[in-house]
Amino acid sequence: MRKVWAIIRREFVERVRTKAFILGTLLFPLFMGAMFILPGYLMSRSLGVKSVALVDATTSGLGAQVETAFRAARIGKGEKAKPRYDVTRVAAVGRANAVRDSLVPMTGLSRKEAGGFDGILVISDSTVPTGKAAYYGANVASFDDMQEMEGTIRPIIIARRLQTMGVDPAEVMKSVQGIDLVATKVADGKLTGESGAATFILAYAMGFMLYFALLLFGTQVMNSIIEEKNNRIVEVLASSLTPFQMMLGKVAGVGLVALFQIGIWASVATYLSTHQDKILAAFGVAAGAGGKMAFALPSMKPDLLFVFLLFFALGFLLFAAAYAAVGAMCNTTQEAGQLQMPVMMFVLAGFFSVFALVRDPNGTAAHVLTYVPMLTPFVVPMRYSIAPLPLPELLLSTGATVLGLIVVVWLAARIYRVGILSYGKKATLRDMLRWIRTA
Amino acid sequence: MNGSVLQLDGVTKRFSGHTAVDALSLEVPKGGIFGLLGPNGAGKSTTIRMIMNIITPDEGRISVLGRGSASRELSDRIGFLPEERGLYKKMKVVDQLTFLGEAKGIRRAIARRKALAWLERLGLHDWTLKRVEDLSKGMQQKVQFIGALLHDPELLILDEPFSGLDPVNSQVMKDVVVEEARQGRTVLFSTHIMEQAERMCDRLVIIARGRVVVEGALADVKREFGGRHVALAFTRNADRAAKVLADRSLIEKVDDYGASAEVTLAPSGDADRLLRALVQEDVGLSRFEVVEASLQSIFIAKVGADAATAPAKEVVHA
Repeated sequence: MRKVWAIIRREFVERVRTKAFILGTLLFPLFMGAMFILPGYLMSRSLGVKSVALVDATTSGLGAQVETAFRAARIGKGEKAKPRYDVTRVAAVGRANAVRDSLVPMTGLSRKEAGGFDGILVISDSTVPTGKAAYYGANVASFDDMQEMEGTIRPIIIARRLQTMGVDPAEVMKSVQGIDLVATKVADGKLTGESGAATFILAYAMGFMLYFALLLFGTQVMNSIIEEKNNRIVEVLASSLTPFQMMLGKVAGVGLVALFQIGIWASVATYLSTHQDKILAAFGVAAGAGGKMAFALPSMKPDLLFVFLLFFALGFLLFAAAYAAVGAMCNTTQEAGQLQMPVMMFVLAGFFSVFALVRDPNGTAAHVLTYVPMLTPFVVPMRYSIAPLPLPELLLSTGATVLGLIVVVWLAARIYRVGILSYGKKATLRDMLRWIRTA
Repeated sequence: MNGSVLQLDGVTKRFSGHTAVDALSLEVPKGGIFGLLGPNGAGKSTTIRMIMNIITPDEGRISVLGRGSASRELSDRIGFLPEERGLYKKMKVVDQLTFLGEAKGIRRAIARRKALAWLERLGLHDWTLKRVEDLSKGMQQKVQFIGALLHDPELLILDEPFSGLDPVNSQVMKDVVVEEARQGRTVLFSTHIMEQAERMCDRLVIIARGRVVVEGALADVKREFGGRHVALAFTRNADRAAKVLADRSLIEKVDDYGASAEVTLAPSGDADRLLRALVQEDVGLSRFEVVEASLQSIFIAKVGADAATAPAKEVVHA
């Protein structure tokens, strides 16, 4: 066991020391951070206080109402939210065009510094019946800005119209209140408090993590075995350890590296999402400015976390062993590119089954795939995240996966045993079968 | 244990049609340095790989340190330097050696301490923290050599330990090997360089085409071949001398250089009779020397043309 530990330690230490590992570990969180700070940052910049000149050609006090509404608009939520507009109302009954023309020279980005305006909003008495108001500004291309302003004005106009019809606007507003289906997951007859969307995101995220780990680290197992074959280290190792010990050490060592790296990433992601507001504030971005773009990690219940980690580990070992066998059969990475196809197919099949089954996680297909060892690492955590599997089903599935793992490791160990000491031509399928029989 | 650490009994290995090792039997006694000699492609490395259980023989039995050929269980007692050197290029020298020691089952701290001591001894002290890829080929070979010795094995198996080394480094390694043997370890090493074997071996076996050609203690082998060679030079009556040398009951082979000759005595002849005959013919002998055969000449005599027509290097593909 001490020997296996030596292999594991070497794999881990040497891998973690590489530039590729350090860069990957650092760059991913940076990328992730940028992903959630940037949209909010950009948005809050465009959401800076807008200076608007309100040319009021109304006689009915509509202009004053609009002014009040604009003053009430805020960026973000809560106490600290800043006003969105800086409104200057200019009474211009009967001379709207003249006032507008006099204001135009003071409008535009370059004029703003000197007390000018971002734009000019012209409303008149005809705004109520026609629903038309004119806006002249530097930011007219900004769809969001225009929508914001329309949204601010719209209720006032509607209320006016209703009043002219003799209807109480408050009553109407109540009656047109839309319907919003608030989805909450029910599991085992209990309310979970999780929203439907978070559940789906989690189901995909788990599948993606395994997929990613297998692509990234499975091929690392394969390539490092090819490298060891090429520099003949295997001969020294093979005289000291059994091939099984060598394979175990390799797979476990790389697995720990995977766990370590993904662990770092997950911690960073958790930290970012829980301290989101503080971090955003540090970048001068108001909380909530990102709106829907905000970054939220779905929470994981301990039992789901356990199921996920269990199947992640089983899946990783199973596929890494398969990759090890492929590595042992090849002499160059080019050869490996072809030979790893069958393994890749299973990884892809597992990954895509998550997408296919998430729509019907309790259908026949989902039930069947729960017992297919190569696919369970993807299917079971996905199903469990949507609705916990009954214990017998979960145990049976775990059993099937462990059985599959043992078979794959046994086969891989036999291929590995002969393969690592075979150089020269690429092994064929027939060679592989012979190795399995004779090893 | 009957005093032998390694026994091969009728071991055969075939690779896709050609027989690399053909019913090979040999015995390595405990202690001393045992040379496994032969031309390129004679089956030396294949034999060593079978001993190390890297490949399995098709036929025959191998017993190492009194056990079956499952030398992996014995790996802690065996040190192995493979023919094709293999080290992790990106690892630091001392980490590499520590790892090799650990793989042999010794504790990390001890492995490290020993590695440092060995690096010091072989003059690699300044390279301790360098990556293996920064070392010259000769230095890498020394590192690998240390890796084989680190765990104080009883049996040291070295496949072509001196190939690619300059004379100075060769000498350093030779001294270490001799020193290890003096401490009671058994050393088995393969080589095709006879001078080396001649200086170091206590016992040897020469194999060619997978078969044993010569076997025994170095002294015995030389004695057997020695005394059969005579170098002579004469000053007159060359025609009479030639007549004596033509006697097939006395002389088996002559390398005639005119006034001098190197002859191989026939099985029925001996040096005394030859001397008497030559004196009788009055050839004016200026030299008459019974030469001890060099291992090189034994090797060439025994392996002969085989050496020049070694089969293509085997590709291991079980």
